[in-house]
Amino acid sequence: MARVTVDGKVVEVPNDANALEACRAAGVDVPHFCYHPRLSIVGQCRMCMVEVEGVPKIQASCTVPVRDGMVIKASTEKALAARNATMEFLLINHPLDCPICDQAGECKLQDNAVGAGLPVSRTSEPRRQFPGYDRTPIGPHVIADMTRCIQCTRCIRFCAEITETGELAFVERAGHTFVWTHEGRALDNDLSACTADVCPVGALTTKEFRFRKRVWWLDKTRSVCDGCEIGCNMSIEHRDRVVYRFLPRVQAGVNDFWMCDYGRFRSEDLNRQDFTVPEIRVASSDARKQTNWGEALDAVKVAVDRARNEGENIASKGRVLVLGSARLTTEENWLLKALFEDSLKVGTPEFVVDEGPKRRIRNKVDGWIYGTEAAANSRGAEAAGLKHTREGDASALSLLLSKKSSSSSSSSSSSSSSIPAVLYIADAAFTERANDPNFVSALRQASVLIVHARVKNALTDAADIVLPAAPLSGKEGTFVNVKGRVQRVDMAIVSAPIVRTDLEILLHLGGRWGVFDTQWTARDVFEKMQASVAGYADLDWDSDAVVGNPPSISPAAAYDVLGLDRNPDVEVFPRPSVAAPDRRS
Amino acid sequence: MSGLSPIEPVLLARRGKPDSASIQTYLADGGYTSWKKVLGGAKSGEWTPAKVTDLVKASGLRGRGGAGFPCGMKWTFVPSKEKRGDKPVYLLCNADESEPGTFKDRLLMETDPHQVLEGMMLASFALDVKHAYLYIRGEMVHATEVLNKAVAEAYAKGFLGKDVLGSGLDLDITIHRGAGAYICGEETALIESLEGKRGHPRIKPPFPAVWGVWGCPTVVNNVETLCCVKHILDRGANWFKSIGRNEKNTGPKLYCVSGHVEKPGVYEAPIGVPWETLLAMAGGVKGGRKLKAVIPGGASAPILTAKEIENLPMDFDGVAAAKSMLGSAAIIVMDETTDIPKAVTNIAKFFAHESCGQCTPCREGTPWLHKMLKRIVNGEGKKTDLDLLLQIAGQMGNGMTICVFADAAIAPVLSGVTKFREEFEAYIAKSNHPNFALAAPEDVTNKVAERTAAGIH
Repeated sequence: MARVTVDGKVVEVPNDANALEACRAAGVDVPHFCYHPRLSIVGQCRMCMVEVEGVPKIQASCTVPVRDGMVIKASTEKALAARNATMEFLLINHPLDCPICDQAGECKLQDNAVGAGLPVSRTSEPRRQFPGYDRTPIGPHVIADMTRCIQCTRCIRFCAEITETGELAFVERAGHTFVWTHEGRALDNDLSACTADVCPVGALTTKEFRFRKRVWWLDKTRSVCDGCEIGCNMSIEHRDRVVYRFLPRVQAGVNDFWMCDYGRFRSEDLNRQDFTVPEIRVASSDARKQTNWGEALDAVKVAVDRARNEGENIASKGRVLVLGSARLTTEENWLLKALFEDSLKVGTPEFVVDEGPKRRIRNKVDGWIYGTEAAANSRGAEAAGLKHTREGDASALSLLLSKKSSSSSSSSSSSSSSIPAVLYIADAAFTERANDPNFVSALRQASVLIVHARVKNALTDAADIVLPAAPLSGKEGTFVNVKGRVQRVDMAIVSAPIVRTDLEILLHLGGRWGVFDTQWTARDVFEKMQASVAGYADLDWDSDAVVGNPPSISPAAAYDVLGLDRNPDVEVFPRPSVAAPDRRS
Repeated sequence: MSGLSPIEPVLLARRGKPDSASIQTYLADGGYTSWKKVLGGAKSGEWTPAKVTDLVKASGLRGRGGAGFPCGMKWTFVPSKEKRGDKPVYLLCNADESEPGTFKDRLLMETDPHQVLEGMMLASFALDVKHAYLYIRGEMVHATEVLNKAVAEAYAKGFLGKDVLGSGLDLDITIHRGAGAYICGEETALIESLEGKRGHPRIKPPFPAVWGVWGCPTVVNNVETLCCVKHILDRGANWFKSIGRNEKNTGPKLYCVSGHVEKPGVYEAPIGVPWETLLAMAGGVKGGRKLKAVIPGGASAPILTAKEIENLPMDFDGVAAAKSMLGSAAIIVMDETTDIPKAVTNIAKFFAHESCGQCTPCREGTPWLHKMLKRIVNGEGKKTDLDLLLQIAGQMGNGMTICVFADAAIAPVLSGVTKFREEFEAYIAKSNHPNFALAAPEDVTNKVAERTAAGIH
């Protein structure tokens, strides 16, 4: 460690830190553009100018390695004048089109213009333009507008150093320098939208979010991506019950500063809510009618109870099969188990996980980490006590699926005994095959088919009772990621009227047998299941490890919440000064 | 005998001789004797790298590329074998001669390439280099051809390659042609360019002597410097020291005199020769007109007025004392007919075009200066422009950028506007700019102070 004095304050920083990081550690805000803690140092924006004692010339602090006893003067007249100068140079050619720029509100250029810029403009020359290189898509997700670019090269370095795909480069020279893809290439890699995150200005924006919402109107809620089991920390950005975008939330041990395009652009899907009211099949009819929760849940109870009673008396058709899901939170899966296995004794709930395309994310601790499942929480579901049914396993679900062809004709007891009277599916989209008619007809062999559903698919079409469930943005709970890390999801928006979260549905259902208290929150369930769920025993619902970092004020400034994060194993994150709201009260 | 008395040409001794670029004539004139001598004494220990380095150090040779850094001292910055481990050392001959007004290296390479190669060989011996590169400016097509031929000849004669002249030492020389960017003459940009990247100067430290080509210790020397090394090995350090104005400025120097003189060209003289002598060598100011100004060291050197350059010793320290720099000794002479604002605008255009685009102040500042100057000479200047020019130029240099390009770019503007302000004002007086009557620019420095005092920052 090196002891460094910044504006009279002494701080200890690692020996490989630079003067800019020392300033930040000392709480001295040194504005900057090109510096990023996960990208190489280029020192070319010349914004972070400071004076270093003993060095006659002014220095770009990010390029100055610290040494023991170094004295940095970050707020001298000379340093401030140098930053004024850099801001002036950056602004003489910037279009200042903030009113139509998506970055406005989370723009480092705006922030630094206020914090370190001049109060006057002294230029009267025409501004530089890049005809043909403005408002142009350079990849499937990213739109480039080079008139706004400040040539900090963060995006170039991101593609060169993080994804190692190197699509972007500087073109031309001098005042005409701009960033573009190499001839004939597109900015098309699995993390391409992160270039818009690292872009401190509005030069790179994402097509999906462009012109959709002014960012200062967006509320931010901590969440975890459920696209695969990596579990990238993200913030759901929403307003008036509409989700507008996902942004990565810094988590050194998981997704660092990044998020893959697949996960990021799942955001739009959260706005879809096909089922807003419980539906129940009218006896001896093909149609379902809309109903209320009381009727729907009573019907579920009646069906389950009948199946249980029949099961005691008659050998055939005597079973209830419960399917959990790797897409549900651990709390929800645990409720399934607590209700159906522990209380009603109808057997262990099962779940299956789809193999998804291989996803990956990169962090400084592990390098690349990979996710191969199409759901976020198979580890949590397993920890909650559900049976993970894989292909070829002997299980009630496998038997059911294998009986598909013979079910209609066969009447032998051995065959029918494997067909449950009630099939309770806590997530209608638990597998891709829920859209496959063969698969659905196999499940449909059950006398009563009950599903929680948000989005219509073949399975919901076949179901007898559909219970409308909230999307990720409307629920609370925890996921267990690929590294075994328990991560909390917060509720971003209250779902449409009378849509309930899976947790609430299960609590109310359990309440009908007197098993659960319907007033429990996700946190209560979390605390109740700690005794029995592996890996949860020592966790605290509100601990930093579970909650993660707060959403950043602006993506480009995301790392400002990090402090001096050189060793990701050490929790150095300052807690936000405003306490998280207690949802139980 | 004064060190400044006229000398027989040393570096240019073979200029004008028939077929001077071929190895036969070079050998006939006693070429490669030092290389043979050094290699011959290498096994017996008579010649060691340290001995060559000490000789160069003792000669007081200063780098001829522009900065005038002592050559021998630069060589000693290379980490010792114990410190650098397996890393090879590279020698990089900087032949990216692009400073406006400079044309000495091209002459050396075109007329006497083997002199350059022998200098490189001797430096390679001193630095334990196994592979030396010569980075030549892209536009110098002829010189590249000459050098390539010379390298092939040297290989054929066994002066290069494996086990050179039976000494057990290997040495390869590669001629690398650049793509014609001025900034690639900056040593770290040159290294980046040689590596195949964009010519962006690197952050220093680490300096190339520690972290150069492909992360290995690298010494970058100018063509003329390496030629001097050859002659130091030929004739000794004392001979070299006997030439020149004083202890710190030694040896013969090539001066590129251009502009309003009767006989523009490259002249060889002892370093530190008085300005008047040099001017006389070039035949005096053209047409007998009056001298107005001189740029003593290429476009990046501050302009000197006729009065300032009177009796000035033309060496590194002499010109620096006049607050300019000798640089690559590209002396651009301007007589009384010269329109200084137009000349400054022209230079500003060059720098606005050649900035590498890396650092904000340089990338944005150089075109800004050029736009303003262009406006002034086009008759659209404002009264406020000159002060603004000085202020803008003043906030570009002195540590604001990674390399010294910005300092070079502002030097002619600052010196031109300060020393010939009345000429700029004459342009502005004739201006028909609508905002001609604008008041003086706001004093921003006070605003900064006020905001600082108010704790706004």
